[in-house]
Order: sequence, then C-alpha cells, then structure tokens
Amino acid sequence: MFGLDKGDKMESGFYGSSLKCKFEESGLANTHAIMEKAVRWFESRSIFVVAYGTGCGAIEMPPTFTSRYDAERMGVVGVATPRQADLIILSGYLAYKTLRRVIRTYEQMQKPRYIMSLGSCPINGGMYWDSYNTIKKLDDYIPVDVAVTGCMPRPEAVIDGFVLLQERIRNGEKAGWEKYDENLKFYKDNQKRVLGGHVDPAYETDWYNLNGGGIA
Amino acid sequence: MDLASKLEKLSLELVQKNDYLYKVSVKIDQLESLLLSFINEFNYITLDSINCRDDLEDGLFTITYCLQTEARDHIVMVQTSIERETASLPTMHTIWPQAEIMEREMHEMFGVDFPGHPTLIDFALEYWDNIPPLRRDFDTLEYVNSMNPFRGQRTDALDTKEEMKKKREAKKAAKLKAEQEAAAKAAQEEQNNPKQEVSGDE
Ligand code: SF4
Repeated sequence: MFGLDKGDKMESGFYGSSLKCKFEESGLANTHAIMEKAVRWFESRSIFVVAYGTGCGAIEMPPTFTSRYDAERMGVVGVATPRQADLIILSGYLAYKTLRRVIRTYEQMQKPRYIMSLGSCPINGGMYWDSYNTIKKLDDYIPVDVAVTGCMPRPEAVIDGFVLLQERIRNGEKAGWEKYDENLKFYKDNQKRVLGGHVDPAYETDWYNLNGGGIA
Repeated sequence: MDLASKLEKLSLELVQKNDYLYKVSVKIDQLESLLLSFINEFNYITLDSINCRDDLEDGLFTITYCLQTEARDHIVMVQTSIERETASLPTMHTIWPQAEIMEREMHEMFGVDFPGHPTLIDFALEYWDNIPPLRRDFDTLEYVNSMNPFRGQRTDALDTKEEMKKKREAKKAAKLKAEQEAAAKAAQEEQNNPKQEVSGDE
C-alpha cells in the first residue's frame, strides 16, 4: 500500500521519506489497485492552480503562493490558463457576469478538475446577500470541492483547504467534476435560471445534447 | 464678468456651500449652454461626475454635474431635473470624453436615455430585462429572494454556545490534569533521589 502514514504532516520536510510500500499488507496480486493508489498520491502532490480573483479574497493569493506561505512545498503551483490547471480557486462573491465567465473557464479545464471557493460569499451570499447582481450558493451552479470559510480566509486557511483537497484525492473520494457530469441537468437548469440561458459557448451542454445541439 | 453676476443675468441663483463648493439649479433646456459657458468663461474644465437621484414622489430624476476648475480649487454642482417617464438627457461625450462611460452607467442603472450616445450597451450587468436596478420602484429584496434564496439551515448544526462551553471545560480539565501529573512527577522524583540534592547543597 502506498500512502502517507496517518499523522504524517505534509510540512514535515522531505515527503519522499514518508512514502512507504507495504506490499505484504495489501497483497502483491492486486497490482492495479496499488498503481491506482500511487497515481492518486502523485496527483494529490501536483496541483496546478488557476486563481480566478472574483472578489476581495484574491488579495490572499499572492502571499499563499509566494515565499511567505509557500504553497509550492505542498505541490500546489499557480498556472496561467485554465487548460493547464487542475484546480480553480474562486476567491469571493460572484456577480452574474462573473459566473458566466467562471462556467466558461471551468468547462475549459481538463479532467480531473477541482474547484475551491474562498470566503462566505460563495457559500451563502456573505455581506452581498441582498445584491441584485450576485449569486448566493455557488455550488448550485458549479460543483465546489472545497469551500474555505472566512471573510476573507487567511493563507493558513487556504492551505488547510489544499490539505483537505489532497486528502480527498488520495482517498479516491468522488470529486466535483464527476458529480457535474452525473447531474449536468441540475447544474445547467440552475445556470439558466439566473443567467437567462445566455451561457456561451455551450461546451458541456452540447456534449450531452441537452441544448438541442450536439457535436460529434 | 464674474460668476455670480453672469448667473444673475441668466436669472439663476448661485448657492455657496463652502469655500470651494457652489451649486446652481438650472432648467434642462438651459443646461448645455450653461455647462459650455462654465468651461469657456470660468475655466471649469473638468467633469468629475454625473449623478442621478430618483425622486419617485415627484416623478423626477435629479441630475447633478460636478465641474472642477483647472486649478482644482473650486467645484460647481449644476443641477437639473428631468421627467422620470421619458428620462432623456443630452449626451455630453462630445465635450468631455469621460462622460461616455458615466452616461452609459446611468443608462444601465436608471434607464436614462442619451440620444446620440455611441455606446449605450450593457455595462456591469448583462442581459438585464427588469426595471433598472437603482430606480426606487425596483424591489431589490423581492428580486433577490426570488432569484437567490438562502441556503437552508444545516440539519446537523450544533449550538455554538454549548459547544464552546464544552470546549472550555475540556480545556480546563486537561490543564488541571497536566498540572496534577506534573506535581505528582515532581514529588516522585524528589522521593527517588532526595540525597543527591542534599549532597549538591553541601
Ligand atoms: S467573503 Fe468577505 S472577503 Fe470574501 S468576497 Fe465576500 S466580502 Fe469579500
């Protein structure tokens, strides 16, 4: 069995030393499962992030990724475009206009893909709860994997979110993008409700032929 | 000619608010010529902002143009009223380029029309098909509740007060236990080697 020993903290220096192969325990026969576990472990240690500064929380991104808090020691690195990213961070409240672009961005990402939201605004509206132009529950529109609370969350909390996400990836828990595929109609209906059907281009919708379209 | 006498000639009243702030109210048909004379004759060359106030009870929009002098030492607020129903204003983007974006915003938020404006399209909102949101007859709360209902309460939500109390008590108990243990340990050590200490003193 591959994996970190329980209680082995990510910050404990050279993580390679804590990778242990316990072949006897799991039985060598089940090589496939072992390989899968290994892949998941490596995946959890290389998360490429596109940070979408939707709201005020964006200001916590630079210290998180630079020398002060150094998210890179956990294998979390920023990238420039969604097509190269595993994780999108939505840092704050989302106006309808932003949500439209976020959906477009998210659907450009390659699977497996994850979403992390920062702050109370994407959870329940936060202090923008009575805005005519801001959504309240982000997870109605796109599948949020980790919601970090706070207004705004400190880099420590963001890093905690990374650790949680990595744990989930390692444990092979069902990720948001799988839920998105399974419940696409639910998400698309919600999106259409607030965006008035103006969600373009209709990538996923076309794939699943829900929009009357369909590409080969 | 100074500002006050010029305005007197036009039978307008100049209200001085403080050392650097004036206000003048004007009819809509005099607006454009007055703004131009402020620029050309009195050097109020900068347009700071165009503001709109919704006087729902009177059926009016009150529009305020804030102009500033070149030396940045005086501001004049030129105020005018327009009908709420028709809500149309002459565009000022030919005089001040920055008026273009201000008017575009006002068009979106209050539904004021600017004939001849080149870019009266969506600004911050997109595909908005309701009453313009800053008009006072737009019921923001009702709209928000219909579009974005609150998340229901968690079924496994705990009482914060009680949980914090429990936490504090557990902390206290742990502290007490640690203290007792430390005391017991110290006592034991003393019992184990009491002679060493004595010999140390000698
Ligand atoms: S949760 Fe707070 S910091 Fe974050 S977007 Fe909302 S208001 Fe801003």
